Amino acid sequence: MIYSSELIKGTLKTIILKLLKDNKRMYGYEITQRVKELTNDRIHLTEGALYPSLHALEADGILTTETEYIGKRVRKYYSLSPKGKNVSKEKISEFADFMNTMKFLLDIKTDIA
Amino acid sequence: MYCLNEKQIDFILDDIRRNGVELEDLQSNLLDHICCIIEQELEENGDFEQFYFSTIKKFYKNELREIEEETISLLTFKNYYVMKKTMLVSGVISASLLTLGIILKFLHMPGAAVGIVLGIGGMSFVFLPLLFLLKIKEQKETKNKVLIGLGTFAGILMTLGILFKIMFWPGANMMALTSLLILLFVFLPVYFFTGFRNPETKVNTVVSSILILTGCGLFLTLVRSPAGSKLMGIQMTKDYLINEKILENEKRLLMQSAAANSLVLQNKPEVKNLNQLCEDIKQKIVFFEVGTNTIGEDFESKDIWLGDGRVDKYMNEDQGMQQKITALRDYVKNYNANYVAKAGGKLMPLHSNVIDMYQLRSTEALNGIIQLQMCILQNERALILGN
Repeated sequence: MIYSSELIKGTLKTIILKLLKDNKRMYGYEITQRVKELTNDRIHLTEGALYPSLHALEADGILTTETEYIGKRVRKYYSLSPKGKNVSKEKISEFADFMNTMKFLLDIKTDIA
Repeated sequence: MYCLNEKQIDFILDDIRRNGVELEDLQSNLLDHICCIIEQELEENGDFEQFYFSTIKKFYKNELREIEEETISLLTFKNYYVMKKTMLVSGVISASLLTLGIILKFLHMPGAAVGIVLGIGGMSFVFLPLLFLLKIKEQKETKNKVLIGLGTFAGILMTLGILFKIMFWPGANMMALTSLLILLFVFLPVYFFTGFRNPETKVNTVVSSILILTGCGLFLTLVRSPAGSKLMGIQMTKDYLINEKILENEKRLLMQSAAANSLVLQNKPEVKNLNQLCEDIKQKIVFFEVGTNTIGEDFESKDIWLGDGRVDKYMNEDQGMQQKITALRDYVKNYNANYVAKAGGKLMPLHSNVIDMYQLRSTEALNGIIQLQMCILQNERALILGN
C-alpha cells in the first residue's frame, strides 16, 4: 500500500527532521531513498514536495547546508541546526501525541503483539 | 550503473532551466537528484534521453515549474499563520480604537483624535494590506488578483481620505474622489461582469455590486455640492457684511454722543491699536478668501464670496498674520487687565475665538473679531453712562 500524498504532506517535515537527526547530513535523493527503504517502499516522497519543504526549513533556520561538488554538479547536504534539533524533538513528540489522539478519535484497535 | 557525461549534465540543467526553474539552489538540487536516479536506475547501455524524460515527468503534475512555485510560496508565506493572526488581531484592535475614538469625539472628550487616527491607520496600513496578501494567495487567476489589488487600493485610499478630511490634512478630497472613481468605474464593472457570467457567483456578485453602488452613493450624498457651497458662502458673506455695518453704526453713534467726553477710550493709543489690529486681521482674512482687501455689498455680482478656508492655514502661509494674531491676544489681555479689572466687573471682558482657536473657518473668525470690537464699544458706553 502506498499512502496518499495528503497524508504524507502533514508529516513531511517531521520525517525530514527525524532522518536528519539520525543521519547527521543527507542530500535530497538520499532522503527519498532512505524513506523508501525504511518503509518497505510504502512511502514515496515526491520531489515536488520534498524540495520546497527543504528550502523552507533552511529559510527558517532549522536546517543548515553544505555544498560539495560531484564532478560537474553540486550536491547540497542538509543537516539540523542547533535550533533544528529542538524543533525535531518537538515535532516528533507532537506527532506521537497526535497519533494517540487519532487512535482514540478513530477508535483504532492496535494489534501489537 | 549508468555513467553520465558532462554534456548530458548540461543537457539536464538546460532542460530544468527551460522549464521555468529559476532558483539556483533548486536547480542544483533537482539536477543532483535526477542524476542520482539516472545513475542508480538506468542500465549501462540504456537510452539516456528517453529515461530522463520519463523520470522528470514523475516530479510534477502539470509542469516542472510547480516545484519552484511551491518553494517560493512556502518561503514567502512561511509566516502565513502569523500573518493571518496579525490580520485578525489588527482588525479587531483598529475597529475597537476607531469606535472608541468616535465615542470620545461625540462626547467631546480628549483622546478622540488619537483613537480615530490609530484606528484608521491600523485599518489602512496593517489590516487591509495583510488581507490583500492573504486573499491574493487564494486566487489563481491574474484577473482576480488584479481585482483584489484594485479593491484594496481603493479601500485604503478611501479610509485615508476620510482620515485626512476629519484631521483637516491636505489632499483629503482628492484621495476620497480618486478612490470613488476607481471603485465605481474600474473595480465595479470588472467585478460585476466577471462574477455575473459565472452561475455560481451570480447572485453574490449582484448583491455585492448593489451594496458597493449604494455605499458610494451614500458617501457622495454627504458631500456638499458646489451649488450648495456657493449658497452657503453667500449667506455667510451677507451675515458678515451686516455685522460690519452694525459695528460701523455703533461706532458712529458712540463718537457722536461722546464727542465732548474726555473718557473716550477709542482715542487712547492701546485701544486704538487694538481696534487697528482687529481691522488688519479682518482685512488679511478677507484678502486670503477673495483676493481683495475689502468685500463690498456687490460681491454677488462679482461672483466672489467668503469661503470656508481656515485661519490656521492662512497663518501658516503668512507670518505677518500669525504675529498680528499673537499681538491681538496680548492687547486683549492688557485691555482686560487695565480697564475691565479696574472698573470692578462692570465692563465686559473681551473674548474672541480667533485669539486662541486657530482652526476656525474664516467667517467664524471674522464675526468673532467683530464681536470683540462691539464689546469695546459697549464698554465705552457703559463708562460714559456711569459717569
